[in-house]
Amino acid sequence: MTHRTTHKPQLSFIGMLRRSLVHRRARSFSALVALTVSAAVVTALLTLYADLNAKLHKEFRNFGANVVVTVPASSGTGVALPPGTLAAVQKAAGPDALVAPFAYAVATTDRGTSVVVAGTDFAAVRRLDSWWQLPQWPTAPNAALLGERAANFVADEHAVELTYAGKAVTLAGAGRLKTGGDEDSRIYIPLAAFTQWTGIGPTVIEVQIPGGAAAVEAALTRLRSQFPALQIQPVRQLVEGESRIVDRTHSLMYGAVLLIALTVAVSVLATLSASVLERRRDFALMKALGGSQTQLMAMFLLEALAIAIAGVVLGYVAGSAAAWAISQVNFHTATLPRLSVLPLVLLLNVAIAALAALFPVRVLRGLQPSALLKGE
Amino acid sequence: MFFRLLWESFRRQRRRKALAGLAILLGTTAVTAMLALATTVGDRIHKELAVYGANIVITPKADLLDVKIGGVDIKPSTGGAYLKASDLPKLKSIFWANNITGVSPELPISLKLADGQQIQATGLWFHHKLANGESSITTGAPVMHPWWKLTGAWPATPGEAVAGAATGLHIGDSLQTGDTTLKITGLVSTGDAMDKRVLLPLETAQRLANLPDAVSRVDVSARTKPEDAFARKDPDTLSPQQHEIWYCRPYANSIAYQIREAIPGAQADQVRRVEQNEGNVLERISGLMWLISAAALLAAGFAVSAAMATAILERQREIGLMRSLGASKGAIAFLFYAETGLLAVFAGAVGYLLGSGLAAWLGASIFAGDGAASVGPVLIPVLLPVVVALALAVAIAGSTPSIRTALEMDPSTILRADA
Repeated sequence: MTHRTTHKPQLSFIGMLRRSLVHRRARSFSALVALTVSAAVVTALLTLYADLNAKLHKEFRNFGANVVVTVPASSGTGVALPPGTLAAVQKAAGPDALVAPFAYAVATTDRGTSVVVAGTDFAAVRRLDSWWQLPQWPTAPNAALLGERAANFVADEHAVELTYAGKAVTLAGAGRLKTGGDEDSRIYIPLAAFTQWTGIGPTVIEVQIPGGAAAVEAALTRLRSQFPALQIQPVRQLVEGESRIVDRTHSLMYGAVLLIALTVAVSVLATLSASVLERRRDFALMKALGGSQTQLMAMFLLEALAIAIAGVVLGYVAGSAAAWAISQVNFHTATLPRLSVLPLVLLLNVAIAALAALFPVRVLRGLQPSALLKGE
Repeated sequence: MFFRLLWESFRRQRRRKALAGLAILLGTTAVTAMLALATTVGDRIHKELAVYGANIVITPKADLLDVKIGGVDIKPSTGGAYLKASDLPKLKSIFWANNITGVSPELPISLKLADGQQIQATGLWFHHKLANGESSITTGAPVMHPWWKLTGAWPATPGEAVAGAATGLHIGDSLQTGDTTLKITGLVSTGDAMDKRVLLPLETAQRLANLPDAVSRVDVSARTKPEDAFARKDPDTLSPQQHEIWYCRPYANSIAYQIREAIPGAQADQVRRVEQNEGNVLERISGLMWLISAAALLAAGFAVSAAMATAILERQREIGLMRSLGASKGAIAFLFYAETGLLAVFAGAVGYLLGSGLAAWLGASIFAGDGAASVGPVLIPVLLPVVVALALAVAIAGSTPSIRTALEMDPSTILRADA
């Protein structure tokens, strides 16, 4: 006897749940669509949001060096950085940092004009200063890249003749460089050729530290403690600008995520609770047949939760796909699905569904089954 | 009769209408807010990007070669060519004059102090009104270099100057040079080679160096369109029509071209480090906002459609009753569409107002401190018809399948099934 009373309601309970979902297919479907949309939107936005900082900081890497390491002026002219500094700076700045050495000298062109000649590592500069406009990056060991303005003071742009401290050298012109900055008035040659010619080693190392103000600050502290004799300066406008813009875009995105998630949540809630309210008649009938208030609420709740979980599964897939597509279109790099957003999405969807099921409780509790069934 | 039905429907089914209306209201609020933010984010981020300084630089064409290392002039050129300060108002007469948001001329000079010391100085504008006819801007070095940190005050009179942080001068010091006394009113930290110089008003510098009307370089900050393949074309090789199109687009190259035309003897170039990357960042951020707006639109569309579908589905019985009383399918459909339309227009208009307010508030609180009020009016009128039309379209699209299903069912079945 006890066996039967404990078992029978359970069986019929699941059966009722299944029937309720299948029987009212149109309504279940529209609830599923609503919950899928809310899960998809939240997944997409959270995935993008989680990836936003990395994506933006990557864009800002193109602005070039944000830290400059130099030999302080007080140590006299012509003093180069100690050998091995470049590798040590790279090590201290981290494997993701870009570093490029520069050495400078004032030489005379074949027209007798003074010009700044810089020795550098073209491969490193190419990665660091992507905005340089030039026909192609030179590879020859004696190539000379002529700044747009400097080129006007060179008679033969193919065989560039330069004189430094009485030593003449002829370099193979590799085209004109255009930047709109100081580089336009200089001639760039490979560091090895430069040192061999002038005997001057690199005096400046430009460093690009990824990740914004905090990362730059940390790297500055590390570099300064490791190289107390060197002058290490941030490029202030780059560091400040990057943080400001990333922070503001971040807040903007945060506002957008909250706004959209809230909107979708509330309108889904409204739709779902309306459809639960419509079932007053079912409620009354079940109550008349002896169902308790708790049983009936559990029934509605379970129904809503089943739909909510199905919505999360579908929505997570759709939302991750949307985030991937948006990121591919906008940043030209993929954003992979993040499992870490799943708990939040699940929580939100279950909360919406639970609220939608429980919200009408107060209305339903006051109902008189007989009056409702009579059609009043 | 029709209007009475419509009126009674709204009066009697207040809860249902309120729920459907709420869905539309929230959807349009979110969409309006996102669209309003997306349309203004370009301006706002552009203002933030001003931190990077000038994106166009004007120099005299016939200048000698700079011999500068790390911002320090190794061999300061004597003589050389200069631009005329009196030509600068012409910048506000070019085709894209309104896109020029900042102008900062400079003249580096060397001051000989009374005690025989030499000190490097730069003549600059601080708060200069640059006007040409109607359009005018107040501009100068401080607004073009937001990263300069000042203690004290910028010079207000020709006899005042500010000193770089590394000069060793203090506020209140006086510099005696020739017959002029310069009073130091502030200390500025720039983080670059400017720290070792004295910054003084341009007119004073011109007088001290005996170079009336001369400037050696002008930094210009202009609002530009990111460079594309067309922008890189040489304007002189384009056909007249193409040239016209190129000229009338705010590319950095076209603005530089117009500056060269306006100011005789000037060489204007884009600062590629700033220009190329700013364009990219601007494009990415506003692109992101547009795509998210599209996502918001889609989501709001789904939510509103679902709400409308539910609202109609619940009224099958009503439809059955009307059919059995002899109403034609067309009349019923018209009644339901009219209800939906009315709801969409009202809720859409209110949502537009709420969304505009929300966007203004969000924008102002995120981009606080840079004159958010100047970004533009709170309401963007163009959005109103767009948002209401979208609300209407989505609501009608959402209710159509339910109305059709309800109309196709046999009225007697509906009435009996529900009884």
